[in-house]
Amino acid sequence: MANISIIVVKRILNAAALILAVVILNFLLIHIAPGDIVDTIAGEMGGISPELIAEIRADYGLDKPLYEQLGLYVLRILQGDLGHSFFYDTPVVTLIWDALPQTLLLVITALSLALVIGTIFGVIAARRPNGAFSHLITVLALVGFSAPVFWTGIMFLIAFASFFPLFPPAGMAAPDLQPGSLDYYLDVLHHMVLPVLTLALIYLAFYSRLSRASMLDVLGSDYVRTARAKGLSERVVVYKHALRNALIPIVTIAGLQFAQVLSGAVLVEAVFTWPGLGTLALEAILRRDGPTILGILFFSSVVVVIFNLLTDLTYNLIDPRIRLGSKE
Amino acid sequence: MQKSRILFSGTKLVAAVALAGAVAGTAHAADPKRGGTLTIVDTANPRHFNAAVQSGVATMVPGAQLFATLLRLDGQFKTHPYLATDWKIADDGLSVTLNLRKGAKFHDGHDITSADVAFSLKANRDNHPFKAMFAPLQEVETPTPNQVVLRLKQPHPALMLALTAPLSAIIPKHVYGDGQNIKKHPRNTKDVVGSGPFRLAAFKRREHIILERNDNYFMEGPYLDKIVMQNFGQVASQIIAMEQGKADMMHWSSSSRTLARLKKSKNLTVTSDHYVAIGPNNWIAFNLKQKQLSDVRVRQAIAYAVDRNFVTKALHGGFSKPSTGPIVPGTPYYTDAVELYDVDLAKANKILDDAGYGKGGDGMRFTLKVDYLPAAAIDENQKAIAEYLKPQLKKIGINVVVRVSPDFPTWSNYVRNWDFDMTMDVPFNWGDPVIGVHRTYLSNNIKKGVIWSNTQNYANSEVDAILAKAGVELDLDKRKGHYAKFQKILARDLPVYPVNVIAYHTVFNNKAVSGVPDTVWGTAHPLDRIYKLK
Amino acid sequence: MSEQHSSPNQAASAAFEAEIQMPSIEHPLREAARMFARNKAAVGGLILLIGILLLTLVVPFFYTVDPFDLVWAPLSPPGTENVPFGTDYLGRDILAGIVHGGRATLAVGGAAAILAVIIGLSVGSLAGYYGGWVDEVLMRITEFFQVLPTLLFAMVIVALFKPSVATVAFAIGVVSWTAVARLARSEFLRIRSLDYVKSARSIGSSNRRIIWLVILPNAMPPLMVQATLAVGGAILFEAGLSFLGLADPNVMSWGFMIGSSRDYLMDAWWTVTIPGIFIFLTVLAVSLIGDGLNDATNPKLRER
Repeated sequence: MANISIIVVKRILNAAALILAVVILNFLLIHIAPGDIVDTIAGEMGGISPELIAEIRADYGLDKPLYEQLGLYVLRILQGDLGHSFFYDTPVVTLIWDALPQTLLLVITALSLALVIGTIFGVIAARRPNGAFSHLITVLALVGFSAPVFWTGIMFLIAFASFFPLFPPAGMAAPDLQPGSLDYYLDVLHHMVLPVLTLALIYLAFYSRLSRASMLDVLGSDYVRTARAKGLSERVVVYKHALRNALIPIVTIAGLQFAQVLSGAVLVEAVFTWPGLGTLALEAILRRDGPTILGILFFSSVVVVIFNLLTDLTYNLIDPRIRLGSKE
Repeated sequence: MQKSRILFSGTKLVAAVALAGAVAGTAHAADPKRGGTLTIVDTANPRHFNAAVQSGVATMVPGAQLFATLLRLDGQFKTHPYLATDWKIADDGLSVTLNLRKGAKFHDGHDITSADVAFSLKANRDNHPFKAMFAPLQEVETPTPNQVVLRLKQPHPALMLALTAPLSAIIPKHVYGDGQNIKKHPRNTKDVVGSGPFRLAAFKRREHIILERNDNYFMEGPYLDKIVMQNFGQVASQIIAMEQGKADMMHWSSSSRTLARLKKSKNLTVTSDHYVAIGPNNWIAFNLKQKQLSDVRVRQAIAYAVDRNFVTKALHGGFSKPSTGPIVPGTPYYTDAVELYDVDLAKANKILDDAGYGKGGDGMRFTLKVDYLPAAAIDENQKAIAEYLKPQLKKIGINVVVRVSPDFPTWSNYVRNWDFDMTMDVPFNWGDPVIGVHRTYLSNNIKKGVIWSNTQNYANSEVDAILAKAGVELDLDKRKGHYAKFQKILARDLPVYPVNVIAYHTVFNNKAVSGVPDTVWGTAHPLDRIYKLK
Repeated sequence: MSEQHSSPNQAASAAFEAEIQMPSIEHPLREAARMFARNKAAVGGLILLIGILLLTLVVPFFYTVDPFDLVWAPLSPPGTENVPFGTDYLGRDILAGIVHGGRATLAVGGAAAILAVIIGLSVGSLAGYYGGWVDEVLMRITEFFQVLPTLLFAMVIVALFKPSVATVAFAIGVVSWTAVARLARSEFLRIRSLDYVKSARSIGSSNRRIIWLVILPNAMPPLMVQATLAVGGAILFEAGLSFLGLADPNVMSWGFMIGSSRDYLMDAWWTVTIPGIFIFLTVLAVSLIGDGLNDATNPKLRER
């Protein structure tokens, strides 16, 4: 444990190298893909001239050889500059910064909701592994796991925005409301219900299964048997001793999952026109807006790497059985 | 529009008359009310608002609200005063003199002078992607602060149309004349200063654009206090917002299912009037460098196999119109006196047999790729027709492989580099053939790497000569004659096979909104006459 | 969608990882089969999957309507004469699409899962068995792929190589092998230090022999579960890409049907809903089977 700080430093260096590799790969892929931003701009304008094409290419540095563009890009990233969006003519950082809160709001709400309810469901189910509720949880989890997330979203849209118009079909808030006012927050809440529900359903399925399995595992362990043997009440055994141990893998996996969150967000945001990072990334790919898509990929890989790092470290602190170096 | 309607059956004519009455009724409605907010559902995502240097509907619609232009057009292509009160075209067609409205001011209080107009038109000429609009403009003279004289290299029949919103914009010299690159000017999105009926109140990218009334507008109106253009990505969401009255208006909509559904709602009026100058001509383009397609007989056989009626009636539920040539119906130079290629599979098969393209063992003669422009909003025009070609051309022994491009740049990259056999495409007419039509057919516009140039590699010196003459002919009837000949030749040569014209529609809540502009440019036109009923 | 890949079971087995006991020596397969057969849900899943396989592999010989042909008025609702499932926006028979389109969907799912398992198993087993720098390098590569936002990365790949059944399967396989690799690595890491591996090594067995004949068979059960779930994940992934418009229009598939009809969902619910139901049922069947396999091969649960 004495050399833990060395390991941490090593980990951080490793993470930085990882992010750099991701950036380089994405840069190459996007620049090899057919077409570029000039196509998008010409498409938006309904026509273009050869002079304008040359001008835009030169403007965005697209006339330089690929390695030079890559070098310049990496150099800028090292200076903390994610570049300028070709399409929106805005700093990429600003675009990400504007979209990020919306995505975080959606994802964190959905994840927390799923985590809390899922754990409760799982614990209840684990107490009677062959009971009716346990089977119900299993069925719900399988349904949640097996239905395509965008399809679930569309079904919600048809049911609760069109057939029973209880919720707004798209967007995040009415534009005439002042951000910061109570009405605004209530409106955001109203808009959030369907997308959050769609996203939460998958995670709910996931966490209730996970916590059920984890609880069953812990309940069968020697440790709990000992607690039971000591004559502690079932309630204390389940909620105090077992649950705490069962939560370790649940929390760990919640952290590691952050890598996948953007993918789910892309689809849910696409169905509900939620103005977040997912839709921004989708638009950027479709428009060949190189700096924007690279900025988002860079940003999301940084987030994932940090989360992985933190999970690793916390896991190590909570559970000394697993060693940080992961080597035998 | 009016003209083609007369060709329709009696009942349609009655309907048309009734509609005309209704429109007239709104125009004369005793007192348009001041105040209120117009909420428009939209997918607009403009790069910026400076319509003098950027085209595209996303910029044009808000651009026409923010920036005034010299002239405006009504629903019959007739020119009306706007910033210019009157004008005169010299007999030789080489100069145009316009007098400017006195006392007109920009949003920031500066007077609009001839210097601003000269600056704007040159900026437009030097930066706008539609080069043909102002290419003949040599100099803009400013004899007095209230008068400009445009000097031209040659007579330019498209000029007056180019001076209307949304193709040009009068921008303030004291803002944009600071030496910065005007296409990337920071004031194109922030603190935008124009002189149009509305000023920019808020712009949140990907979410909304909010426009506020310009209280010092130099003309009557506007009646609205505010316009909110709210960005809804999914069509389904737009439909719900309209049906539930959460939005007042939806524009530039062509989706037949959307329109059919909204038409059922009695509070909603669905109209395709007022967009005729846009002219999105949906066609199959042929690469004449491709082996079989270089043979005009193959192109003609394909034309006989494709059923325009199926497309417009069955596929589009009657919400689009057949296109018969390079110039769209309803515009001044259109003629339908051309070969129409009514569907005839036997004839198509015979043409191919006679031309020596025998069927193989599998019943197929040869294989052709078809591409389409990927854009969700026009999938039923592009993707659906590309998919339709597969079973349809199988009937004449052509094996069609649909090549899908996941996004616009991929498709554009194929087409502009001539790496295609057939592609669906939808270039716009933009009001005058000089702007939107010539570019596809002139042999000197065969430019590899440029999308919407003559990517078909079509070269016909007769066509080149006719277009050269039509481009400088100021006499309406003579010009019509040139274009009639041009359309006849193209129907024979078929470098492209036009299928249908996408009909843009405006849908508005007739209990809440009145005074939707009567123009050929749709809502890419100042919305200073529109008002709320409640 | 892609967050659905890492299944409950995989997570659960990760949770058990530290405690899993040595595999039982006698007839583990037969015992597992018996356990599986006792699991009603799993058997139900198997029957469902067999039904779907019959539908997609056998029924096409009897229901021969070309799914691309325009057979009836566009957007006819289900129950219309001749077209029990209705038609899409071009007038193509949806029943024909379901019958003939399943093959491509299953092929993409299967091929992507096989690719994911091959890559994941190779990387994970080598890393876990050899440890040291091999492990270090391979795990860095795995981490690299885990950091990539899967869906966006797959989209870029598909955009780059244009959508076809092969590209889509490739893209999905490339972004979803890391879970298999991690699992294989931990299994190899665990098993290689067990006594019977040590004794195999002491009698001089070659590395190849130990990997293939000693460790792999014992690592198989959780990997099989993982592979089964990878199929379900890949099918969902394909549907997601199709929804975003990235499907091959020359090959009828359930994903393509959804993707091409998404604009009509408000008026013609059946065009999107019906293929969605079939995707859902397929993934459900696969999940049930994976679940059953997991229960049957997990010694912890066997006690109960």
